[in-house]
Amino acid sequence: MNNRREFLRNAFLAMGGLSLPGMMPGLSATPLIGSSARPPMRFIFMHRGNGLFPKVLVPPTLGKEELDKEKQNLPYEVDLSKHSLPEWMSPLEAHKDHLTIVQGLSGKMCTTGHHSWCSSLGVYKANERLSSIKWATVDFELAKLFPSPMEHIELACFPTDGGNARGGLDGIAKGFSARGPQQPNYAFGGPGIAVDEIFKSVSADKNDQVRYQLERKVLEFAAGNQTELARHLAGIEKKKIGNYASSIDEIRERDRKIDQMADVVRKHVPKLESKYLSNDMDTYTRQVGHTEVLLSALISGLTNVVAFTVDELGHHYTGIPGIEGEKVNMHDIGHGKPVKNLSAEEIRKRTENHHMELMNRIVTRLKSVPEGDGTMFDNTMIFYFPDSGETHHSHGLEFPFVVMSGRNSKMNLGNRYIRLPYWGKEGHKTLGNFYTTLLNAYGNPIKHFGDLDPGLKFDQLGPIKEFLLA
Amino acid sequence: MRRSNFLPCLALLSTAWAAEPSFQVPAKPAALLQEYCLDCHEDGTEKGDIRLDNLAEIPLQARLDLMNRALEQVYLKQMPPKKKDQPSEEERNELGGWIWKELHTHNASKLEEKLRYPSYGNYIDHEKLFSGKIKEPAFTPARRWLVSPMIFDERVRDVFSLEGRERNMPLAGVTNPFILPDHSGVRDYDIGLLDGGSLLVMLSNAEWISTKQIRPARVKAGEIGANDFPDPKERWSPRLTPPEFENIIVKKTPPLDEEIRAAIVKQFALVLRRPPTEIEASKYFELTKSAIELAGNSEGVRQMLKAVLLESEFLYRQEWGAGNADQHGRKMLAPREAAYAISYAMGDKGPDAKLLEAADQGRLNTREDFLREVNRLLDDKSYYFGSIDPASNTSKVVSQTVSHPRIMRFFREFFGYPNAPKVFKDIERSQGVYANADRGTLGTSGFLVDEADKIVAWCVEKDQNVFETLLTTDQYFMFHNAESVKAPATIEKWRGVWEKLKDSEWRTDPEKVILANQEMLKSALGIVPGFENKPANHTNTLTRCMKHFEATFGKGATPFVTLPWAHGNTYWHSPIYNLPEPSGKGGQYTDPPLDFPIHQPFKIAHRKGILTHPAWLIAHSQNTETDPVRRGRWVREKLLAGRVPDVPITVDAVIPEDHHKTLRTRLDGVTLKQECWKCHEYMNPLGLPFEMYDDFGRFRKEEVLQHPENIIGKDGRWNKYKSLPIDTRGTLDSTGNPSLDGEVSDALDMIDRLAKAPRTRQSIIRHAFRFYMGRNEMLSDAQTIIDADNAYVKSNGSFRAVIVSLLTSDSFLYRK
Repeated sequence: MNNRREFLRNAFLAMGGLSLPGMMPGLSATPLIGSSARPPMRFIFMHRGNGLFPKVLVPPTLGKEELDKEKQNLPYEVDLSKHSLPEWMSPLEAHKDHLTIVQGLSGKMCTTGHHSWCSSLGVYKANERLSSIKWATVDFELAKLFPSPMEHIELACFPTDGGNARGGLDGIAKGFSARGPQQPNYAFGGPGIAVDEIFKSVSADKNDQVRYQLERKVLEFAAGNQTELARHLAGIEKKKIGNYASSIDEIRERDRKIDQMADVVRKHVPKLESKYLSNDMDTYTRQVGHTEVLLSALISGLTNVVAFTVDELGHHYTGIPGIEGEKVNMHDIGHGKPVKNLSAEEIRKRTENHHMELMNRIVTRLKSVPEGDGTMFDNTMIFYFPDSGETHHSHGLEFPFVVMSGRNSKMNLGNRYIRLPYWGKEGHKTLGNFYTTLLNAYGNPIKHFGDLDPGLKFDQLGPIKEFLLA
Repeated sequence: MRRSNFLPCLALLSTAWAAEPSFQVPAKPAALLQEYCLDCHEDGTEKGDIRLDNLAEIPLQARLDLMNRALEQVYLKQMPPKKKDQPSEEERNELGGWIWKELHTHNASKLEEKLRYPSYGNYIDHEKLFSGKIKEPAFTPARRWLVSPMIFDERVRDVFSLEGRERNMPLAGVTNPFILPDHSGVRDYDIGLLDGGSLLVMLSNAEWISTKQIRPARVKAGEIGANDFPDPKERWSPRLTPPEFENIIVKKTPPLDEEIRAAIVKQFALVLRRPPTEIEASKYFELTKSAIELAGNSEGVRQMLKAVLLESEFLYRQEWGAGNADQHGRKMLAPREAAYAISYAMGDKGPDAKLLEAADQGRLNTREDFLREVNRLLDDKSYYFGSIDPASNTSKVVSQTVSHPRIMRFFREFFGYPNAPKVFKDIERSQGVYANADRGTLGTSGFLVDEADKIVAWCVEKDQNVFETLLTTDQYFMFHNAESVKAPATIEKWRGVWEKLKDSEWRTDPEKVILANQEMLKSALGIVPGFENKPANHTNTLTRCMKHFEATFGKGATPFVTLPWAHGNTYWHSPIYNLPEPSGKGGQYTDPPLDFPIHQPFKIAHRKGILTHPAWLIAHSQNTETDPVRRGRWVREKLLAGRVPDVPITVDAVIPEDHHKTLRTRLDGVTLKQECWKCHEYMNPLGLPFEMYDDFGRFRKEEVLQHPENIIGKDGRWNKYKSLPIDTRGTLDSTGNPSLDGEVSDALDMIDRLAKAPRTRQSIIRHAFRFYMGRNEMLSDAQTIIDADNAYVKSNGSFRAVIVSLLTSDSFLYRK
């Protein structure tokens, strides 16, 4: 097993290694907590498989006029403070002031249906072939804007029935984000492996320490070799080796800085009970464990961006209240099959309610961490959305979004329930428009992020101007 | 006016430029600037916001940027504009030489680096290259050349010494650190650099590979169980760990120094294909020893394996030359370098045993040696045998296998048609014919690319007038799957059934007919008694088959060999070639039916070669429209060795929407403006003739204005739109033959003329040079390129002759 951990640890090294010293203003041995430095924004992308029915996000207290518009998919918005949340969203009740529900975004340029790979984060038709990854997903683009030692962390409740390359539940495998064209990211399947890898620099385990030293030794050796080789070259030949040598050096430098953060990192290592490390943990436990890892990584300053595949259609769900002992095939749920005495819709509701519990846990914790003149949540945005659209066999006509925004968010979302014009109608907006808004708001001037929908016969480029601060 | 005032103006200029003591414009360049540039680029005119009369007054960096732009314009002959007086060659050299020297004083010249990039390949003057006047001996600069993704894959398999079927196993833990650009044109150049991204990928690759390398030995040593895999779904392991590593791993005590040294030598041989130098051996020895002290034998030796895998040399091909330099300073490739250079030119695998033997025994030292080995490897139909594009294999289409896939790769890259699946289409506009690439499939374009591949393979196999045939053949493949190859026999059996039973009671009492013809029906169609009563979705029943035959044989047509209800049948795209839909789609029968061509290739109307193949047309189209600009640029650059300036960064190249006009009209509306036309004149007249096809590659006479405003009714379940006639006229120029230049009526006319132009042939030869050398040609490569062209002509259009000529040329043999 030692070897496995060794492999995984280094696979992670490769994942986190893009944060180069020159890109790390937020990185220092001094924690940001309580500091007066302007804190970075944090972004959490929680996405789930099997679709998310738009109807379940509708506030139950809407008046007739709004309900009519809702039924006809006509654009409108309401002030959420004047409305109740659907029952399954009740865990967010305490944070309602920060909540926005956005309906009507389409993603027909994405792969939809059972599995969507990087589609919903990249806004293109991704599939099992690496060549389908056209560019970095939006979370990685944000990570470039808010650099951190590990740049980006991805956690996943992996599918075991297709949907990713190999499907080991507890290991590290290709995830649902992408670092660049044809460059899949790697995600942690279990909280245990995630802790091992993310917090390895402060591990108390002797074997872990030895391996950590070995990693450093090989990197140092490789750096010496390549630097020496480059020293005797000139022009483009020097660049061919020099780039490689300096990249090794940059990783060493990153590691050195992480080492300098040891005290802070040590303080925030998640203290997970044994049930979160067990290979037999149920899905609910796995999700909570991942949430704890996510929080620790953000609070310790190791990363500012987390992608969290909270479930995927191919994941066999366990731990659902009322049917705890059942292994629920989410594909069957997609096709409306009841399990035991629970209808498919009820199962959806319970799992989605748990997702909101996780969101509540994140918001509550981040609100408890002082930062600047407020809390870490002030500098956080959380997005919860389906990776494949409006339903199990979706056409990508709707990607409902639940958004929690801290007060320093640069998006003008407000405390609203918003239904945008439906697909094909004047003023309709796509996932690409939404992410363009997000990127523009935080300093990436990209004209448009994502592929276009050839079915839309009007200009579909650019941000959603109403969502940008004036 | 300016000429009469020449001297005072010059004096003025000199005064201005003398303002910065360190910067002076010498008299001759100053006079040339005055004569040819300042009319448009001085205070008061400043065309394009460029001023050249105040170079000394602007900050150094701004001046260097400006001079870099000016050098490019002068060198590439883009300035002065065509309609203005042109400087002589000497004058151009004088001015360019001065700018170049000034830039080099500050180490700021960008032109040389730019000229190495694929998009600058045509910037070497074509006439000069083929003039026969360039006598400078050819060479390739000594270099590292980043391995291609395909070579990388082979190198990893070499590390595990995999052979036979095991060699084709997917290696789940290895991610290719490289990607090649996916534009049309040669993709693998020697300008690639290792960067942070490649390192990150290699760190995880090295981890996986080294772990697998020692796994069998660790099992033997009892460190892990034979079935202990970290990922239960990823259970591949090499069968053996090399004995040099195993000796150390199974040992209970620290290894002897000799054992460590032997392990290092072995890993060098596996990964870098050479022994370590003395210094390397010593450094690696220290690393291994200290790692073993820290973590024990297995982990310690694995760190060494990893470190060798992280050597940049694993990822670069090395071509330095060896021995004494000749009088021109050139060295011939060292024999081992030559062996790899030849083998990687032929395919992705390293040299075979005979080639290595020739290198080691001093039989790879002369041009004749190269000739012998190149011919031997071209004759060898098995060593490089493989799939044309294994990465595009899906459950629907399996890329065909050929003896030398890399030859196919040249034509695929040159034409760029394999990019078709990357273009995402609005399928409704195809009336349900087209499917996009998606999970587990490359959609319709996957079939089309495979069908284009088959044409190329067919031409390469015949090896006569290859370029001309590829451009002008009217022979195409369609639905040519494994079943289709057996079509004649299958169809004859089916025809027998139809002929014998057409007047039987198959409609009214099919079971009776089946019982009476059991043997024939079972043999021809797998029909047995009982099927008829409970027909499953995909089974052949007599009623289904006879109805199908009635609609095909009965109408004098031949049915396609895959029956329409067959499970997983996705062969429906014949309308993309303007042929009828296959009979029986969705249980519907059309008249006239598709007459499936048993013998392929077969003639398809309104098409001429690869440029009118739907795969090429789709690859060079936009999501919802054709793309005359890009198609024209392709013809200009690939067939006419021409150049098109880059799109100025200030230009937002968008064709305005207008649902009442054809694309051509809308394009003309914006590009005929003077400032646009100076670039678009090189593209539009060559791209617009392809407007005879829509963006799905279908031949058309009218352009359908697919917009809700233009709906005029229904055609079945599809909307019917207004349409406008297509104008397919264009203009051909620069073919080098005035009788071929001039207005063309459509793409077919243009292609016919292009295929006759020597310039077209020479342009393809230039691209072949780039493919086999991994770089742009220099003027000093003139003789190599002329020889390759002559070889093609003299061999009656053999591409093999081109390969042999290139791989035995000075450009291939010598490094400097």
